[in-house]
Amino acid sequence: MLPRLGDPHGTAKTMSQVSTSPASAPPVPPPHTEYFPAPAGPGIFRRWFEILAEDRRQLIRFWPVVQNMVSQELRVRYQRSVMGFLWTLLNPILMMTTLTLVFSQILDMRKEGYAIFLFAGMVPWTFLSGTINECAFCIISNEGLIRKIYLPKWIFPLTRVLINLVTFLLSMSALFFILGPLGARPTLPMLLLPVVVGLFAIFACGLGLAVSTANTFFRDCGHLVSVFLQAWYFLTPIIYEAKFLGAAQARLWLNPAYPFIKMFQTIIQDGLWPDLSTLAAAAGIASVSLGIGYVAFKSNEDKMVFRL
Amino acid sequence: MSLSSPTKTRWFSDSDRKPAPVPFEPDVLIGLRDVSLRFLSYHDKQYSLKQAAVDMVLRRQAPPVASDFWALKNITMRIRKGDRFGIVGANGAGKSTLLRVLAKIYPPSSGFIQFRGNVAPLIEMGAGFNPELSGKENIRLNGAMLGFTRKEMDEKTDGIFEFTGLREFADLPLKYYSSGMYTRLAFAIASEVEPEILLIDESLGTGDAAFITKAKQRIKGLLDRSNAVVIVSHDMKALKEMCNRGIRLERGVITDGGPIDDVVNNYLDSIKAPRV
Repeated sequence: MLPRLGDPHGTAKTMSQVSTSPASAPPVPPPHTEYFPAPAGPGIFRRWFEILAEDRRQLIRFWPVVQNMVSQELRVRYQRSVMGFLWTLLNPILMMTTLTLVFSQILDMRKEGYAIFLFAGMVPWTFLSGTINECAFCIISNEGLIRKIYLPKWIFPLTRVLINLVTFLLSMSALFFILGPLGARPTLPMLLLPVVVGLFAIFACGLGLAVSTANTFFRDCGHLVSVFLQAWYFLTPIIYEAKFLGAAQARLWLNPAYPFIKMFQTIIQDGLWPDLSTLAAAAGIASVSLGIGYVAFKSNEDKMVFRL
Repeated sequence: MSLSSPTKTRWFSDSDRKPAPVPFEPDVLIGLRDVSLRFLSYHDKQYSLKQAAVDMVLRRQAPPVASDFWALKNITMRIRKGDRFGIVGANGAGKSTLLRVLAKIYPPSSGFIQFRGNVAPLIEMGAGFNPELSGKENIRLNGAMLGFTRKEMDEKTDGIFEFTGLREFADLPLKYYSSGMYTRLAFAIASEVEPEILLIDESLGTGDAAFITKAKQRIKGLLDRSNAVVIVSHDMKALKEMCNRGIRLERGVITDGGPIDDVVNNYLDSIKAPRV
């Protein structure tokens, strides 16, 4: 008792000695040492913490690869056509023209600014479905790379998300200017768009990770996904308004894409600030999606190369 | 679930946790301890969701494992600074698989590997090349995959073109390159980045005689900077020239090891081929 009270430094010394090096401990390896497979820490939380830390390191190390793959994919996609990027705009423009004609002329659902409404829902949806569809096949189609060189496998879904995100942002801004004559005006609530786009991209990323895992192990998943996306598209108020559903409107909240689409429509078409509750719901859905996707992907990452 | 895995990282259980690896001696660049790799091949590799659903409804065991074979069994070896390590063995002995494990492509089913330093694999020529991009852009992309920034790579670009003699084709998309040009570029990138550890699989086969001579010199140059090289080849003469140590693999097991001359001679004697 007495020595401990009188000599705090001595105590600290013995403590540290005990905790760091018992005589039989192996020599401490030099700093660059790396183990493969990485040793697992004790406990689930500790393990996932280590996995996250490792991925953070990998993200920094391999970020130039992601950058390269994204920029080069975009360049390869566009450099060969003179019109380049305009071609990507053609598809949504044609789609919107057709739908606007069908709905406002033939079905006589005349509505002020239908084209803008359509635009506000359709462009984000194209991003979501494009990302999910491409993610489904990203591991399989990069088989050649995965079997020849070591890369963290999340690079492939991440690249797909980023490529689609860039296309999404470009077509969003370009179409907005095209729609100027029809009444598209910049408004103050649009300052919130980056946040909404960010959350939407996180949501898409989570789904993409989950789908790419599933499709690597169950090869028919990709085809189911595209059918599922088609159904989901019609269940989401993109070409029709939510109030069109009448009493069934409340059920829309079961649709995880609804808060996002709703916010896009509120901001772009109505020029209003979205509800805080919608924003919170979207943030929650985005993080749950990313969480599930990430855990599913990381749990199966090591097995993927054996299933290609 | 019988989707059995070589290495399990299940989020819901850590019962199959591996003990913390024991480090190797400080001069070991690559250390393998009891590394085994099991390949499971399924009758139907493309197991489908449809089938999984049917199996679940019928309470059938799924999917049947057609064959379960150990490509590598209890490999323990040390590759030290300055080692030029040759791996010999018949086709299917596990040489290339071992190299892929070293390149972190296949996670081992058990055991572990310890690395000290940057590993540059030359498993297959032009892995990670994008044929649509020019030679210059591919250098950047490949460098990024090996862990180098754009700036660092731009500094090395000159040296790479110097070595390959492909400067006039720098802006040509890679799909118009001949296979020899492809090989040269791939080899030049992997060796120009000066990795601590270089893995080479049969890659010196293509390319003309002049290039092969240059490549051999370059590997020797790499060794002078005290790096390690692991080479898998069927060219016994080249192995004897370039390596100092070696092992022989047979059905995934190390059956011989030591100075390369002994390993190669024993191997050639055992298959009744003339010594080189």
